[in-house]
Amino acid sequence: MHNCKETREIFTELLLDGIDFRSDQAISAELRRCSECRSEFETLSATLRMTSRVSEVATPAEDYWPAYHAKLRQRLVDAQTPTTSRAQAQRHKEKLGPLFEPLRPGAGNSLFMRLLRTTLPVPLPLAVALVLIAALLIPFAIRAARRDVQPSPTTTIVRVPVEVPVVQEKVVTRVVYRDRQPVVRVTKRATDASRAESTFAKSRTEAVPASLVGFKPSDEVKLTVIKGGVPNEK
Amino acid sequence: MTERDTDAASDIDLVRRAQAEDIDAFCLLAERYARRIHLLAAHYCRNTQDAEDLSQEVWLKAYQAVQTFRFDSSFYTWLRRITINSFLNHRRASFFRSHGQTTAVQFLQIDSEEQEALFDSSSRSQESIYNKLLFESVVNALAELTPAQRLAFLLRHYEGMTYDEIATAMNCSIGTVKKGVWRAIVKLRARLSPESDEQETLTSLASEY
Repeated sequence: MHNCKETREIFTELLLDGIDFRSDQAISAELRRCSECRSEFETLSATLRMTSRVSEVATPAEDYWPAYHAKLRQRLVDAQTPTTSRAQAQRHKEKLGPLFEPLRPGAGNSLFMRLLRTTLPVPLPLAVALVLIAALLIPFAIRAARRDVQPSPTTTIVRVPVEVPVVQEKVVTRVVYRDRQPVVRVTKRATDASRAESTFAKSRTEAVPASLVGFKPSDEVKLTVIKGGVPNEK
Repeated sequence: MTERDTDAASDIDLVRRAQAEDIDAFCLLAERYARRIHLLAAHYCRNTQDAEDLSQEVWLKAYQAVQTFRFDSSFYTWLRRITINSFLNHRRASFFRSHGQTTAVQFLQIDSEEQEALFDSSSRSQESIYNKLLFESVVNALAELTPAQRLAFLLRHYEGMTYDEIATAMNCSIGTVKKGVWRAIVKLRARLSPESDEQETLTSLASEY
């Protein structure tokens, strides 16, 4: 029974391995039997043949390799030698220039180089004190230098009138609100028998101290209830 | 003793000398296998300069790690593992720089302008130009894959490694490797099959020069 998927997997692997399986009777028979598999095989075979063919293009020509290996050797040497390699020393020397050429015995050493290389042993406290004094004196020296700057004799003074705008006074009118004297309203419940019949207490503008002197409770109280009065009452 | 055994013995001898910090011995090893590594790098990168840098990086890493070689496999098998790791660790962005690429089409433009200076008469043949364009198409098709898929195809097709070996070297499953290889084949077939438009363009371009 022909199985397209299996057949394709088999010949793809064989093609990738570069094995010529045309002599294989079983696969050849499978390919003869199925036109789709045969077409698939032909396109795949052509594709992989082309990829093998371009490997010649991908490989550089013979004259490329000497420079490649020389570069690689140099990189290996650089990787092997410590950081203070000869190449780095050479680069450092080129960077500094001929003035800072290191001293060599017998070579003509410049005075500048000798001065640069001269050392003087100084006790540490003295060195620190000198540095501090220098640091303190530098601001004073800068200030003194600024004061000493005088106008040169060729400088002429030119007076130019400049109009300065005067700010006008503004009149600010303020409205002051004065509080009115509060009106004291005191409600007093009526004490008289005649006023006891009333359901509303009367307001008075004058404060009257409440007193129960002469109060005599009545035996009967008549109450009249008036509904309504409050606007939102339901 | 066969020639291969002699080579292997020679490899072992050279590796021992390289482990004793003999750069000359290591360079001999590099001369022996540089073409294979460079071929993989050339397919993996689009740029010639990138391919050179990457292949040299492989050799530098191999030299730094040569002390760890335990002689339990062939030198090339060990080197291939370093190659795979270097390829995968290399930043993808640096492979596909937008500028400075020297593609086959650019080669053709240079060829048309400065034919006398750059190419001899044999390299100007139609077949040579066709192969360059073909290589460009192959690399472009491979560039559409992920780095892992691309590398899986290269190892399977150019190095003849088994799926199991590739999966072990790349630290992934066999299924992933198979899928990557198949995708690469499909891409390449779409670009290189005789029926494709691109193939017709390649043929017409090559015939123009």
